[in-house]
Amino acid sequence: MIATFAPVARRLAPHALVLAILLFIAAFSFLQPAFLKPENLIGILRQVSLIGIMAVCMTFVIMTGGVDLSVGPVLAISGLAAFFTLEAGWPLPIGIAAGIAVGVAVGLANGFLIAAFGLPPIIVTLAMLSIVRGTALIAGGPDLHAIRGHDSYTFIGAGSLWGIPMPIFLFGAVAAAVIFLQFATPLGVRVAAIGDNERAARLSGHRVWATKLVIYALSSAGAAFAGIIQTTQVHTAAATYGEFGTELDVIAAVVLGGTSLSGGHGSAARTVLGVLFLGVINSGMNILNVPIDSQLIAKGVLIAAALAAAERAKH
Amino acid sequence: MRAWLGNAALVGFFLATLALFGLLAPNFATASNFEDLMSGFSFVAILAMGQAFPILLKGIDLSIGATLALAGMIAFDLSLIAHWPGYFILPVVLAAATLAGIVNGLLIVYLRLQPFIATLASLAAYRGLVYLISGRQLVPSLSTTPISDSWILGLDTDFDVGSALGISAFVKLPWVPLSFFVMLLLLAALWALLDRTKFGRDVYAVGGNAEAARLAGIPVGRRVIACYGVCGFCAGVAALTLIARLTTATEALGVGTELTAIAAAVIGGVSLSGGVGGVFGPAIGAFLLGAVLLGLTLLGISQYVQQILTGAILLIAVGSDRALAVRRRNRLAANLAPPAPAGGHG
Repeated sequence: MIATFAPVARRLAPHALVLAILLFIAAFSFLQPAFLKPENLIGILRQVSLIGIMAVCMTFVIMTGGVDLSVGPVLAISGLAAFFTLEAGWPLPIGIAAGIAVGVAVGLANGFLIAAFGLPPIIVTLAMLSIVRGTALIAGGPDLHAIRGHDSYTFIGAGSLWGIPMPIFLFGAVAAAVIFLQFATPLGVRVAAIGDNERAARLSGHRVWATKLVIYALSSAGAAFAGIIQTTQVHTAAATYGEFGTELDVIAAVVLGGTSLSGGHGSAARTVLGVLFLGVINSGMNILNVPIDSQLIAKGVLIAAALAAAERAKH
Repeated sequence: MRAWLGNAALVGFFLATLALFGLLAPNFATASNFEDLMSGFSFVAILAMGQAFPILLKGIDLSIGATLALAGMIAFDLSLIAHWPGYFILPVVLAAATLAGIVNGLLIVYLRLQPFIATLASLAAYRGLVYLISGRQLVPSLSTTPISDSWILGLDTDFDVGSALGISAFVKLPWVPLSFFVMLLLLAALWALLDRTKFGRDVYAVGGNAEAARLAGIPVGRRVIACYGVCGFCAGVAALTLIARLTTATEALGVGTELTAIAAAVIGGVSLSGGVGGVFGPAIGAFLLGAVLLGLTLLGISQYVQQILTGAILLIAVGSDRALAVRRRNRLAANLAPPAPAGGHG
């Protein structure tokens, strides 16, 4: 019995996350049939799309053994930048470009400090969290800025196509782009090489610093894009968006997808699964009216259990 | 010896900062401002000293903010709902906080989770636990009732050191809050633990090279668990001094303090690459951050600019730490390199 079970388990291990997602969907829909309604499933995807975009874009950073704690404030400041540009009468593409550009600038600063001086990513991005939040608050103050009269802008986050909200398409597009970057461009190879053995990558002639600049810029650009979508969803921009804890949710989604914080292993496609896993859990507990305290505890326990199981499977 | 020099440089920088603000900011060099500094940042110093232990092991503890809230809420419940006397509450709260830290250590050692992930998960779980046991929600009428236990509130006593020393006639000294003395006591105890015991030497060995430490016969797992326990204990002490000052506990107590504590520890010269640092530096680091924030406030500089400057200070601290590490490594390499043959290059 056990002898026949072991090979099956080994065969299934790589798909454990998919199985877990299906298992939870089955359990939630058994307990509450409304869970399987199309509106609810679309709702789950819409809710995870912002975290998802940030998580997919941060995957490369975590694959190299780094981390980006500054995504929350970047989300806020990029929304503000887009808002101010549009308010000043510039056309929509310029507004979006301004928001993304601010994000990319922060990411380049992160990457530069980390790559050029060899500073620890957790501290650099922690300092940047503080710096960017302060800058956003100086620029935008503590108030909400209402966005009015930009119909095509609000369509980005609040519109829908064929009954499916736009953020889902955008999440899909970003995920597809990053997966393409990982599997069809040299960047994916370089990231894996740095994560595996940074010294070896450098000695074999890779320009490690250039790759780091690119991946931290990508992580921040993802946060900037999420920030723009959020401002269009809620029709306001504010310096306080992306509150403390956003970055931890994003990191949790990436590591649940199997990307290791010690670098080397990881895949953007599996990050999408990690995002969906968290989304299903959150939505299921909401629909079952689980109180917020038990939700937090369950989330913590599930993250620890999932990663411990993954660690066990490796040995 | 070298660690001692690093601390001396840090103290020098701290004193220079105090002198600078004393000259620039009105009301900075006053007794009441130093009272604010001591009562407002002693708990940050306590958290930073605790955080030094996981960082010394090349780890990190993101859960101390949640542990602090958990400890505070346990004290709130025991005092206002269970009506326990304070002399029971204090040890129970400290034990609970230590246990929270030990659980982190167990997750890291036995489930082989990375410290960042383990404490990220326990951050969520402990914060959820705080909401679950929140006396403010279990008994809504208590949410406006202050804690009145004399043992807990006794932690918020201030001492007129100037009068006690008989020099208040000559110079106006600040009243020193008990939390500052608690911090000093903890500093002395943790310093002795790190510097004068086998446990302390083990911690540095594990932080420097865990595999080598294991081969040398050091029980690495037990040391790791103990270090996270110390970190939890410090969060418990910090929680007690904090709720004594606030006379209540809230669910959101300590949100984000883990990042401040990590920043103070790094400013205090504890290296994230493990095995380098102590507890004196983090304490100074916390008060340095505090002095800068209070000084900037007195100069009328907006809170938003202060956030930017806090980030900049952190970058400078970690940058100089990195420069020191590179120099140390180069010197080591130079010492280990075979003597250059005559007529060689250079």
